[in-house]
Amino acid sequence: MSMIKRNRIALIFLLVALMAPLFTDNQYYLYIVTLSFIWTIAVYGMNLIGGYTGQLSLAHAGFFAIGAYSLGLLTVDANVPYWFAFVLACLITTVVGFFVGLIALRTKEHFFAIYTLCVGYIIYLVIYQWDELTGGVRGLIGVPPPSPIGPISFESAESNYYLVLAFLVLVFVFMKFLTESLIGRTYVAIRNSEELAQTIGINTMRQKLVSFVISTFLAGLAGALYASFVRFLGPEISYTMTTFDMLTYLIVGGIGTLYGPLVGTFLIVTITQSLQFMEEYRMLIFGPLLVFLVIFYPRGIVGGIQMWKAKRQFKKRQKMKRTSSTSTHEGGD
Amino acid sequence: MGMFLGGLLLLMTTACSEEDPSSTDTAAPPGAPAGSGGEEVEEQTEVVEGTEVVNIGFSGPLSGAGAYYGNNTLNGLTMAIDEINADGGIEVDGEMHSLNLVSLDDQYLPDETGANARRLVQESDTPVIFVPHSGGTYATQIFNEQDEVLLASYSSEPEITQQGNDLTMRIPPTYDAYVEPFSEYQMERFGPKLSMLPPSTEFGMDWAEELKPVWESLGGEVVHEGSVDYSMDTDFFTVVTNALSDDPDVLFVGGSSEPTAQVMQQARELGFEGGFLIMDQAKLDEIDNVLGGAPDVIDGSVGVAPLVYDIHEGNEQFIHDYQEEHGNDPGSEAGYHYYAVYIIAEAMQEAGTVEDAHAIRENLDDGLHQVPEDKRIYDVSEVDEQGGMTTELRMAVVEDGEIELVDFDD
Amino acid sequence: MDVLAQQLFNGLTIGSVYSLVALGLTLVYGILHIPNFAHGALYMVGGYVTLMTMTTLGLPYFVAMFMSILVVGGIAVLMERLVFHQLRHSPPIHDKIAAIGLLLFLETLVQLIWGADYRSMTTPFDDIVSFLGITVTTQRILIVVAAVLVMIALHLFLKKTMIGAAIIAMSQNREGAFLQGINANRVAMLTFFISGGLAAIAASISSPINLVYPGMGHLVILKAFVIIIIGGMGSVPGAIIGGYILGFSESLGATFISSDYSDIIAFVLLVAILTVKPQGLFAKGAH
Repeated sequence: MSMIKRNRIALIFLLVALMAPLFTDNQYYLYIVTLSFIWTIAVYGMNLIGGYTGQLSLAHAGFFAIGAYSLGLLTVDANVPYWFAFVLACLITTVVGFFVGLIALRTKEHFFAIYTLCVGYIIYLVIYQWDELTGGVRGLIGVPPPSPIGPISFESAESNYYLVLAFLVLVFVFMKFLTESLIGRTYVAIRNSEELAQTIGINTMRQKLVSFVISTFLAGLAGALYASFVRFLGPEISYTMTTFDMLTYLIVGGIGTLYGPLVGTFLIVTITQSLQFMEEYRMLIFGPLLVFLVIFYPRGIVGGIQMWKAKRQFKKRQKMKRTSSTSTHEGGD
Repeated sequence: MGMFLGGLLLLMTTACSEEDPSSTDTAAPPGAPAGSGGEEVEEQTEVVEGTEVVNIGFSGPLSGAGAYYGNNTLNGLTMAIDEINADGGIEVDGEMHSLNLVSLDDQYLPDETGANARRLVQESDTPVIFVPHSGGTYATQIFNEQDEVLLASYSSEPEITQQGNDLTMRIPPTYDAYVEPFSEYQMERFGPKLSMLPPSTEFGMDWAEELKPVWESLGGEVVHEGSVDYSMDTDFFTVVTNALSDDPDVLFVGGSSEPTAQVMQQARELGFEGGFLIMDQAKLDEIDNVLGGAPDVIDGSVGVAPLVYDIHEGNEQFIHDYQEEHGNDPGSEAGYHYYAVYIIAEAMQEAGTVEDAHAIRENLDDGLHQVPEDKRIYDVSEVDEQGGMTTELRMAVVEDGEIELVDFDD
Repeated sequence: MDVLAQQLFNGLTIGSVYSLVALGLTLVYGILHIPNFAHGALYMVGGYVTLMTMTTLGLPYFVAMFMSILVVGGIAVLMERLVFHQLRHSPPIHDKIAAIGLLLFLETLVQLIWGADYRSMTTPFDDIVSFLGITVTTQRILIVVAAVLVMIALHLFLKKTMIGAAIIAMSQNREGAFLQGINANRVAMLTFFISGGLAAIAASISSPINLVYPGMGHLVILKAFVIIIIGGMGSVPGAIIGGYILGFSESLGATFISSDYSDIIAFVLLVAILTVKPQGLFAKGAH
């Protein structure tokens, strides 16, 4: 009972998400929401390394693209069975992430951000220029949809939606346990002060590396899902602008919060869709919004709500204290 | 933090699904390109009263680096639709129908095109969707047969009509048609050594791939194979220097007119005296304008005939109206889109349906031959089995600083 | 045409532009420890202001360039006041995010006002000069000469004036500078102004040989970061030397390795350097 109570927001969200396709047969809504779920998975990866561990990785779109292109190339060119290719795609991204992390994490703060920015750019340029392999600017055509698992096939928009939702739920549950565990608190300790974390005996390098590798795994997973959902890949998904988009989702939702990626991605993706004219100039609003948020609400919408609730509770408690103290006072009279 | 968030999410989901169905009317003007918002609204009112409305979909780059191109294609569509409606619409199966353009922006991104195309089908029930780039075409081909919508693609990629998609119409000619006459002309005029410096775009790669074997089979030699990236290379001088290092007779360039002009000028600055073989997209007249009138730079070039240099009965009115309305010359992308709307409108009349995409597709070739003489912007002979338009082409050459047109047979 | 000599000169031209951009970036980093990702956007705005002043107001090239310095310098100062100053006590990750926000904003704003098309800037300096087997336009000579002049002027300013000395003092030792009674706010604003001005000059002199468009700052800024890491974050001579090194390695790399991958050279170089020395070359100790 208490578990249900403690997780009621997550459960309500899940319920809504499960029911949603029953109320609409509009393929376009499903497409948009599915896409936003895919991005959410990637943003969770960014949140783990950026929000919890405090290392801003700007190569995230690159890893997303590695996952996507791995799946695409394995299925289109190498004819590897879909789900095997899917696992391989995640694995390849993770392995690349491991080696990049091994070197990148020796650098700190600004150097890390610039280093990963450059790594992201190299990934983009390789995809863009190596057209014998990736199709270059022409893109990769004909990525197959997920093959059926037993009796369940993934031809329809609904089945794709549920597939992506299932992965999102897994990722969410995983993130919840991870961030509430000792490991999660270790990450936060590193974010707050790496020197301090070291002095209390944390192997910061190893912890950062694990965090980074998980984050690239999530990017790769999202990429693989994206590839078989959109079924066409172009190099622009690996461009820094995609990283900046993800960063926007994360900052708006709330960096370093569990619900942030969910809220931020869903809000921004649906808002930009419903205000199509904004698409073109969305950064005119989101750019200053990023600045505004880091100055006034550095933990985004979710962090803001948390703070507001905490304040209210604090006030309530104070009020209670005050009334109780006056009442005891009166009582003493 | 409990309920609040859950409530917020619930609110979002419901708000999203409540608000959008009503947006069939708001869906029409959204793509409104900068500066032409007024026209879009006007176009809505021009839908003839008392007629059925057929929505024509469009998803293309109306913002970002491709905005100029995307808006040109949209201009062609808008003009044709306005004209058709001004004439009272089209009569299909005994009933009058007018056309309504629903345009959405995809910034050249395939996944956005995918979203837009689904949106057009769901909310506007469009029988036809125009997509002016190949990435978006591929992304739409995934489901257009299933959803029974005709995809009118403005893409040179031959593959889009070779994949067995029954509901694809390819509007522009494939580029293989240009390659041989261009090569023959330049080789005869300047010599056998070709240096290739195409832009690293899809068009550029297509062209280069087509050009190289043709040039070699004509007895020429490719002395340099490079490419130039207009959005990334900080200085073209470096790549141009390399392209000229083997003393080529002919330099292959192209892309948008502005950067192409820059590359051509820098090649001349570095002492290049040969000829330019210019792929489609870049227009000789625009290049000349960009350079502020530079006959010595463009002299010896061969390129696609600019629409405005090829005036005949079929496009005279169109060019005149376009110049009047937009204050500049129409490019081929505008001309082809304009023409395509007429072909489709006629095909609908022939097919006797505005909904059945298969029937419309099957009647495209008949529709083509029904288009009035004065709307035939180009010399298109047929819409072939696979849905590709076959266009008779001419080329433009610059001799003594003057742009001249040459038929391919000469 | 002597390809090697020609490419060396081409490298010198690009290197001059890189150096100027990197100088602005390194000054700001030296004083405030902010990696200003929005610096590339300042470069881009600089190109547009010069171009538009010339085409719409009809002012001569150098006047337009001066206007551009004022405008971009002003924007840079505003950025410092409204954003980075507010974030001075925040964790460093916030500076970076805010800088990215500014970059996105400026780029979209320019696109809204002037559109996304490529534009070219024509200047009076298009005469062709040939010497030593190489061919150049006077604009390219102007780039090389102007860059050197600007560097000399900056050097004199930093070494010979009180306020310049304050900038140097603050980049070497922040607390010490406070104790000396240096007005940190004024120094920060001035540094941002100079940084913006340098970006405007770089864009104004390089635009005529290239194109003006909203994305023109993307690669330049990334390369400038590479340069200041090579040259040592915050080091003025490092930025200059690093700029020329990168310019030469790109033009020679495009000739002797592959022109397709010439843009990658800078990033591979950086990745290699940081792999060996995580604090960058010439790190002034851990801060």
